Amino acid sequence: MAEGRTAEERGAQRRTAHKRPRVSHRNNSIDIPLLIVMAGLMIFGLLMIFSTSAYNAGEDQASFLRMQLLAEGLGIVAILFIVSLPYSFIKFLGRPVPRLVILAVAVVMIFLLKTPLGITAKGATRWIRLGPLRVQPAEIAKVAVIIFFASFISEKPERINTLKGYAIAMTIAGGMAGLVYVFSKNLSSAIIIGGISVLMLFLSTKEWKFQMFGYPAVVAAVVYYAVHKVQTVADPESLSFRYQRVMIWLDPAKYVTGNGYQTLQALYAIGSGGLTGKGIGKGIQKLGTIPEVHNDMIFSVICEELGLIGAIVVLILFAILLYRCLNIALSCKDSFGMLVCMGVFLHIAIQVVLNIMVVTNSMPNTGVSLPFISYGGSSVSFLMAEMGLVLRVARENDNE
Amino acid sequence: MTDKRSNRGSRGNSSRRNPKRQRFTPDSQLQDNIKIKAVVVALGILLLFVFLVWRVIVIMRDNGEQYKKQVLAQQQYDSITIPYQRGAILDRNGTMLAYSERVYNVILDCHVLTNDNSDGKSTEPTINAAAKCLGLNASDLRLYVQDNPEARYHILVKNLSYDEMEAYQNYVAEYNADINEQNKTREDDKLPRINDKAIWFEDQFRRTYPGGSLACDVIGFTTKDGQGQYGLEEYYNDTLMGRNGREYGYLTAENALERTVIPAENGHTLVTSIDSYIQRICEEKIRDYNLEHAGEWRENEMGSDNTGVIIMDIHTGEILAMASYPYFDLNDPWDMSMYSEGEVERMIERADGDAEKASQGLWKNFCISQSYEPGSVCKTFTVAMALDMGVIHDGDRFTCHGYLKFGEGDRTTTIRCHQRYGDGDIDVKTAVEKSCNVALMLIGQKVGKESFLKYQRNFNFGLRTNVDLAGEMRTSSLVFNERTMGVTELMTSTFGQGFNVTMIQTIAAYSSLVNGGYYYQPHVVTQILDDNGAVVENIEPKMLRQVVSEHVSDLMIDYCIGVVDEGTGTRARPAGYRIGGKTGTAERSGQGKRDYTVSFMGFAPADDPQIAIYVVIDRPNTGSQEHGTRYACLLCRDILTEVLPYMHIFMTEPLSAAEEKELEERGQQSTLSVSENSVSENSVSENSVSGNEAEEKESEIPVVEITIDPSSGMAIDPINHEALDPETGAPLNEDSGIFQDGEGNTLDIPQAYDPGAESDDPRE
Repeated sequence: MAEGRTAEERGAQRRTAHKRPRVSHRNNSIDIPLLIVMAGLMIFGLLMIFSTSAYNAGEDQASFLRMQLLAEGLGIVAILFIVSLPYSFIKFLGRPVPRLVILAVAVVMIFLLKTPLGITAKGATRWIRLGPLRVQPAEIAKVAVIIFFASFISEKPERINTLKGYAIAMTIAGGMAGLVYVFSKNLSSAIIIGGISVLMLFLSTKEWKFQMFGYPAVVAAVVYYAVHKVQTVADPESLSFRYQRVMIWLDPAKYVTGNGYQTLQALYAIGSGGLTGKGIGKGIQKLGTIPEVHNDMIFSVICEELGLIGAIVVLILFAILLYRCLNIALSCKDSFGMLVCMGVFLHIAIQVVLNIMVVTNSMPNTGVSLPFISYGGSSVSFLMAEMGLVLRVARENDNE
Repeated sequence: MTDKRSNRGSRGNSSRRNPKRQRFTPDSQLQDNIKIKAVVVALGILLLFVFLVWRVIVIMRDNGEQYKKQVLAQQQYDSITIPYQRGAILDRNGTMLAYSERVYNVILDCHVLTNDNSDGKSTEPTINAAAKCLGLNASDLRLYVQDNPEARYHILVKNLSYDEMEAYQNYVAEYNADINEQNKTREDDKLPRINDKAIWFEDQFRRTYPGGSLACDVIGFTTKDGQGQYGLEEYYNDTLMGRNGREYGYLTAENALERTVIPAENGHTLVTSIDSYIQRICEEKIRDYNLEHAGEWRENEMGSDNTGVIIMDIHTGEILAMASYPYFDLNDPWDMSMYSEGEVERMIERADGDAEKASQGLWKNFCISQSYEPGSVCKTFTVAMALDMGVIHDGDRFTCHGYLKFGEGDRTTTIRCHQRYGDGDIDVKTAVEKSCNVALMLIGQKVGKESFLKYQRNFNFGLRTNVDLAGEMRTSSLVFNERTMGVTELMTSTFGQGFNVTMIQTIAAYSSLVNGGYYYQPHVVTQILDDNGAVVENIEPKMLRQVVSEHVSDLMIDYCIGVVDEGTGTRARPAGYRIGGKTGTAERSGQGKRDYTVSFMGFAPADDPQIAIYVVIDRPNTGSQEHGTRYACLLCRDILTEVLPYMHIFMTEPLSAAEEKELEERGQQSTLSVSENSVSENSVSENSVSGNEAEEKESEIPVVEITIDPSSGMAIDPINHEALDPETGAPLNEDSGIFQDGEGNTLDIPQAYDPGAESDDPRE
């Protein structure tokens, strides 16, 4: 036994010794394809932000561009910092106390919205002031949820196969989503947080019944409730904000002048783009016609200016990015790293799908930004930090 | 083999040491679980991506064309109209009589104000800025914004001047710069800026008449939609009007949005022959007269129903001044506050109680739009036609017994002379001087009906003069023709009763009597300029016909001088000058005995007639006709006393002590000494009213045609074919010294193009 073990160890040592030159080389490197795709999306995003915001920005045409560049600079610092952390520190996050601290920080941030630190704009308080920065607590919550559930699941994998453990996890997920929705009136972020949590649990649990019975029921209930409510209320004006949006989704042309305006103008932009588009910078709909055009609706201008081809290229870039994330997750040796990568994968995938579904009127209008492309400092910096985590895991994979 | 087998068997127990044995730990089971489902989820995401691409394709395929059109249709809202500028109206010296001024409407866009990224905080400073700089009520504004948060076009103020607009914009810029400065040091609680896009300015043009009521009847005014009403504004509406420009976006073949500007075409500018100084004198004197005599005989009425004065250049038909009373304010045509309440009531009463009609009555130009019986001033025409026909001669004598009987039997008619006991044995000149009706009827009998009507037509009575002003009256039915004229009508016509004329007809005809017999069509506009000041058209004097011979003209000048020297018109002579003229008093038909139209028609100066003046007081508010006639002469005297020195016409007559005192009181200087020294040396052109007139006089002898180079807009000197500057008349080639050394003629040519030629006049 002892000899065998020694032989095994020796063999392992031999293999490591054999690989050492490559490993030591890769030890300092990061996943280049992932980085290139992410940088490509961000540069493309900057271009589109400038194209869409220059008209609305007033005298200083590049003001939005500059803000975004600043946020991306912070993101690069975050990536460099996280990638250079020792992997033991990453694993340290998988312990109970750190994950609870992270969750607590996110919750406190959300509570800060109700203090004087909260910044109100366009009828909703979604930012807090942290020193010189304006931060969206909802973005912090997304990162926190990813790390929390990766840690919560990987620490004791058996836990989520029990009803009690699963119920605790679902309560925490629902609680975070509810907090974000209640405190920042931000349904889309709540949906994303809920989506990430639920799908991470789905990936991990072995008990099929939790999934088989839980999710379809919830989805069906929501859809049924929404559609039923819409059809039974004759006067759309008396409906709440959300239901109006559902009505608009069902028939945007009917609400051209009201709340359907944004959706319909986005559709006009997509439809008028054609196969190759009008050429970058030559779009018309961004000239004061589509509200929030540099933000949630940026994909419509991508379609207008770059056409179907541009839209497909953007989706292919996202597909490559997600494939790399998936690849890194699959080749990860520890379940915490794997779950973190899958969390980031889900975060990006959910936002891309939701954003483009809204813009193409495939679902009711809710404000979701397109990762790495839409204007929004908090969103892009935290996404980049998440990418930093993935890159750190990838570096560890190569190290093995 | 055993080793291997035992190894396999022991894997489950020593999993922590050996990575290959992890498969059976909870962690490895978790990883396997995740890996499988992750691939499933990834495939699901991929499917969703494919679905999204399919959605985009469906939108483009099914609605692409419709949405493209929709996008284009939405762009049309971006079209902006650029207003044109209506042409100005200048007097002969380039003084502005009417011009269009750029003014600004202040527009509030509540949508921009309430939806900016300040979260509504910018509303308060913006409203305060508007209240402060634009004189608005802040609480009203606040209420409006609150009630209409999405209103995009709310006019706050109309017709703001450029200075007022600039004051607002400067205030906003300073305020925002200040706030930016303060915000630099503030960490949080940034102060809100003024939203400088919520309030914007829409420019348009407003017609302004700097002279107020000056030449109101000649100029006319414009309605709000830019259409001319009355006078020059109406007659030359098409010339003054321009074409609106547009700025709009359109899509090129490559579907790129282009913005194009079609600039507005501004209207053309009119240069008139009106001299605003002379015009002002005429208007002041008329006003003085009417105010002085207001309510004198009939209560609550002005000094006269109408008073009109025309001063005309007899050698060109150009009208130097055309004034009438009552007047109105061009900048506010509906304003009647300059008249007393009683007068306004009376005016409305006479307009059948219709206030609007009363205003229209004010806007009417008495000088061209109202007819009246001219009276004795027409005796000059009767005498002139008889002399021209040769049926009487200078020095022929007539006897007046105070009345004349004509006709036979029952149809005998007796017409009295105004001198009850007769003027006795008088010659033609004295007949004119004393305004003897009997002598004129005897002359009329010699002329005969047919010749009388022929000459009347030649003098343009009964026809429109076609003066370039809107609203000239037709009088064809108000004169006799061969069918309607009997003996009595012929007799009354000889002294200007029974038929109707307008002032413009009469003075145009009279000008031909004293200028050598040439009938010129009266006109007001001499030049049309484009908006850069280049000449579009010169309107030359139009001589229509010779009505009487030069010899007759000379005789008529002599007779008319006699009227002022020793006849009925002595009161009309201005101190220091010798003029000619003819008085007139006509009963107003159908108005009762007490109503008269009194007039004086004359020319000046006596030795070299330059201008004709015609003063008509319609229904003077005085006790007797005698007074009325006197006032017409005095009004003429008042006007000429100031106009003649202004026109560089020098005094020729010695001044009596009383006259010198009078001039002193008026603050005028005698120009007698000057004229003694220089009148013989001065060239004709220096006596003339302006360069324009000088050119016309010259052109009667040697016809000098000056052509304008169409490409450069430069005048071409007819002598050496060099280009002249149209503004100054100076040769462009300065080496050419021909103009410095040339004759008077040569020197005058450039003056014809010099609207500012009078600028060295010390009176200006």
